Amino acid sequence: MTAGDRLSMHHSEVQVSVELQTPDMTLNLGPQHPSTHGVLRLVARVDGEVIKEVEPVIGYMHRGYEKLAEVRTYPQITALVNRIDWVSGFANEIPFMVATERLMEIETPERAQYIRLILTEMARISSHLIFLSSYPLELGASTPLMHALRERERVLDLIEGVTGGRFHPNFNRIGGVRPAAGAGSAQKKVSQDLPEGFLDQTRQAMQHVRDVCDDMEDLVLGNEIFLERTKGIGIIPPSKALEYGVSGPSLRGSGVGFDLRKTDDYLPYSEFEFDVPTGENGDCFDRYWVRLEEIRQAARIIDQAVDSIPSGELQAKVPRIIKVPKGEAYVRAENPKGEMGFYVVSEGGRGPYRLKIRSASFSNLSVLPWLLEGQLVPDIIAILGSLDFVLGDVDR
Amino acid sequence: MSALLDSFWALLALKLLVVALVVPGVSMVIIYAELKISAHMQSRVGPYFAGGRWGWAQPLADGLKFMQKEDLVPADADRPVYKVAPMIVLAGTMAVFVIVPFSPKLIVQDLDLGIFFALAAGSVGTIGVLMAGWSSANKYSLMGGLRAAAQLIAYELPLVLAVVGVVIQAGTMSMVGIVEAQAQTWFHVGDFGVSLPFALQGQIIGFGIFMTAALAELNRTPFDMPIAESELVMGYLTEYSGIRFTMFFLGEYAGMFAMSAIASTLFLGGYYFPGLDSEVFGPVILMGKVGLLVFLMIWIRWTFPRLREDQLQSLAWKWLVPLALLNIAVTATLKVVF
Amino acid sequence: MTVSPSELAERVAGIVGSDRFSSDYGTAKVRVGRDRWTAAHEALKAELPYFSWLSAIDWASEVSVGDPPEEAVEDRFEVLSCLGNTDDGAMVVLSTDVAKDDARIDSVSGVFGGANWHEREAAEMFGIEFTGHPNLTKLYLVDSFEGHPLRKTFPLLSREVKPWPGTVDVEDMPSTENPEDAG
Repeated sequence: MTAGDRLSMHHSEVQVSVELQTPDMTLNLGPQHPSTHGVLRLVARVDGEVIKEVEPVIGYMHRGYEKLAEVRTYPQITALVNRIDWVSGFANEIPFMVATERLMEIETPERAQYIRLILTEMARISSHLIFLSSYPLELGASTPLMHALRERERVLDLIEGVTGGRFHPNFNRIGGVRPAAGAGSAQKKVSQDLPEGFLDQTRQAMQHVRDVCDDMEDLVLGNEIFLERTKGIGIIPPSKALEYGVSGPSLRGSGVGFDLRKTDDYLPYSEFEFDVPTGENGDCFDRYWVRLEEIRQAARIIDQAVDSIPSGELQAKVPRIIKVPKGEAYVRAENPKGEMGFYVVSEGGRGPYRLKIRSASFSNLSVLPWLLEGQLVPDIIAILGSLDFVLGDVDR
Repeated sequence: MSALLDSFWALLALKLLVVALVVPGVSMVIIYAELKISAHMQSRVGPYFAGGRWGWAQPLADGLKFMQKEDLVPADADRPVYKVAPMIVLAGTMAVFVIVPFSPKLIVQDLDLGIFFALAAGSVGTIGVLMAGWSSANKYSLMGGLRAAAQLIAYELPLVLAVVGVVIQAGTMSMVGIVEAQAQTWFHVGDFGVSLPFALQGQIIGFGIFMTAALAELNRTPFDMPIAESELVMGYLTEYSGIRFTMFFLGEYAGMFAMSAIASTLFLGGYYFPGLDSEVFGPVILMGKVGLLVFLMIWIRWTFPRLREDQLQSLAWKWLVPLALLNIAVTATLKVVF
Repeated sequence: MTVSPSELAERVAGIVGSDRFSSDYGTAKVRVGRDRWTAAHEALKAELPYFSWLSAIDWASEVSVGDPPEEAVEDRFEVLSCLGNTDDGAMVVLSTDVAKDDARIDSVSGVFGGANWHEREAAEMFGIEFTGHPNLTKLYLVDSFEGHPLRKTFPLLSREVKPWPGTVDVEDMPSTENPEDAG
C-alpha cells in the first residue's frame, strides 16, 4: 500500500493500533508464601492484573507413602496414613482400616464403629474450624482465627483424651479401636475404653462448637467486605467439578449433593439424621458456607451418636500376626477435604502389594489451572484458600 | 527564661524537642493499646510480662529488640533510596504535628494555611512508601509501593474535599481558628448557649468520608492492600529490618495519632470542651478525642477483612468523591442562605 | 450403597463391551482392552461423570521391595481408573493391562480433564507413556530424577542402607528375610 492509497482510504478503513505493547509478567508465588498453606508454588503468567496461565508446582512435600507402604505391615501403615492430611489425622485412618477389614472379612464391633464415627466427625469439625478461621485471615481479617481455634482446642482435647494424640491418633486397629488412655500396664487393664466423662464433655463441646458457628456467621458471613471478596469469585460449575474429581465441600459448594456418608457404608452413618448442605453458585462464598453448615451437621451427628452409643467389645478377634488374603478392594470415605480412598492390593502378605492413595486435596487442586485462568491476581488468594487443601494431602 | 522564650530559634528548638519526644511516646502508647485491645477482642491476654505489670513495656522492648537487629540491605537494592525511604515516611508524619493545636497556646506554629499544610505534609509519607517499594528490588515490594501510590491518588481527593466543608463552615484554614469556630455558640436554648463540634453541625458526612480516607491513607485494614501480609508478604516492608523497619512501624502509629488529631480538631472541636478551660485542659481533651478515634481505628482493623484493590478504587471514585462534592455544595449553599 | 457392586459391574461391562468383570469385596471392577481404554471412558462419561482417580500397579514375580506375590504373576503394568456418579454413589474401577516392554497407553485427559495430573503421576512413578497427553512432565519429582520409584525393581535405598530396626519390632518386616527377634 502506498502513501497515496492510504490517503485515499476512507477513515473507517484505516486501522489504528492503539493497543499498548505490554509483555506478560511472570509472577511466582511460593513455595514459601503465607497464603499457600505450606509448600505450594504457583507460577503465574499475568498481563497486568489478569492471569493468563497458572501452573501449580507441587511435590515439595512428597514423601512417597505409596512406596513406603509396600515395605510395611498393615498395622504400621496406620501411622503413615494419618499423616497424609494432618489436619484431620483420625479420618484418614478409616478408609484404610475398612478396606483391610473387608479383605480380611472381619466384622468390626458396633461400639468400635460408633467410636470411629464420633472421632471422625470430630476430626471433621477440627479441620473445618481451621478452614473457617484461616480463610478470613487470608482475606485480611485475623479475629475469626482466634475464636474458631479456641473451640477447636476443646475438640482436640477430647480426641486426645480418647486416643492420646491430638493430630496423629494412630488409634484404629484392624478389627476395632484401641484406646491408649491411661498409660502404664496396671492402668491399661481398667481403662481400655472411652475415658470417664467423655460423653458429657462431648455434649458440652458440641454446644460450644455450635456457638462459635453462630459467631462466625455474624462475624464473617455478615461482613460486607467478605461478601464483596467472595461472592461470584472462583465459580466451579458442577460439570467441571465432576470431571476434575473435585469432591467434598468444594463439590457440594457447586450444588452437587454428593456425600459418601449418605451413599457408602464404611461407617454406620445411615443410623443418624443429618443434612447435606449444598451451595448455589459454586463460588468461594458457597464453599465457605457449606463448611460452616457441615460443622453444625457434624455436631448433630455426634450428639446422636453419643446418645445411642452401644456397649460391647472394642475390637474383633484378630490373629496376632495379621496376614491379609489375596484380593483387591477400594474403600473411600467422606473426609473433611473430600473423597479419600485406598485401593489395597493384597497378595497374601503381611503388607500390601500395592497401596493406591486417593487423596481429596490432590484432585481438588488439579482444577486450579482451569479455575484461575482469566481471574484477577488479588483473587488468587481468595480462590486458593477456598479450596481448603493441605499440602500433605496433595503430595502424599 | 522569658528571654529565652522570646528568641525565635530557641523557642523553635524547644518546640521541636517536645514534638520529637511526645509523638514517639504517644505512638508507643497507641502500639500498646493496639496490642492489648486486639488481644482482648480475640480472647487472648496480649503482652503480660514485659515491665512487670500488664506488659506495659512491651512496645519499648520491641523497639529495643528491633534496634539490635541487623540493618539488612538487599544486594540489588538502590542503597541511598532504600535507606532514606523510612526517614521520609517518619518525617512526613512528624511534620503534620507542626500545626496540631493542643491548646490555644500549645502549638508549634499556627499557620494561616494550617490544614492545607497538614494535608500536604501528610501525603509526603506516600512518596517514602513508593521509594521503599521501588528500591527494594522485590516484585512484592514494588506492587505494594504501587498500590500505596494508587491509593494515595484515590483517597487524597475525598480527604481534601471532606475538609473543604469544614473550612467553608469555619471560614478559616487556621487550625486554632477552626477550633475557635466550633467553640462559638451555635444556638441558644433559653439563656444557655450551645456550641457544637462540626461533626454535629452537619459535617457528619464529611467526618465519615474523612475517617474512611484517613484509614486508606494510613494503609490500615480494610485498606491495607499495600502491606497485605497474605498476598504481598508485607509489601513494601518485606525487605526492611532493624531500625529502618522500626521507623516505618513508628511512622504508621504516629500517622494514626496525626490523623486522629487532625480529625478531632476539624470535626470534634479539638482541644475545646464546653465548660472546661482550654488553656489548662486542652491537651487532655484533645488526647481524649484522639484516643476515641484511635480506638475506632483499632476496632475496625480487627473486625474487617481487606478489600480488593479495584473495589477500593471504585469505593473512592464512585462513592466518596461524589458524596464529598455534594457535601461541599450543600455546605456552601447553607452558608450563603443562613 | 444403593446399587449393588455386582449389578453395577455387569452393567458397566455391557456398556464398554467387556466380559471380564468382578465385584469382590464390594469393589466393582471391569477389565477392558488397552486399545478400548479411551473409548471405554468416553462411553461411560455420560453415566459416570465423576472422575475419581487413575493409577497403576506393577505386577512382577520378583521384587526388590516388600514381599513378592505368593503365586507367580504375569509381568505387566495394570492401569486402573475409578469413575463414579453422584446420584446413587455408584463407583467402578476400570482396568487394563499394559506390557512392560511397550508401556504405552492412550491418555484419557481429553475425556476427563482431571486425569491430567493423575496420568503425570503414573507416568513418572511407573514409566508408562500416556500418548496424547498435553504435558507429560514430572509432577512430584525433580526434573533430574532418574528411574520410576513405584516400579517393583526400584529399590528403597534407605532400607538398603539401614534396615528398619527389626529387633524392636514384635513381628518381622515384609522385606526382612530372617527375623532375629519375634517378641
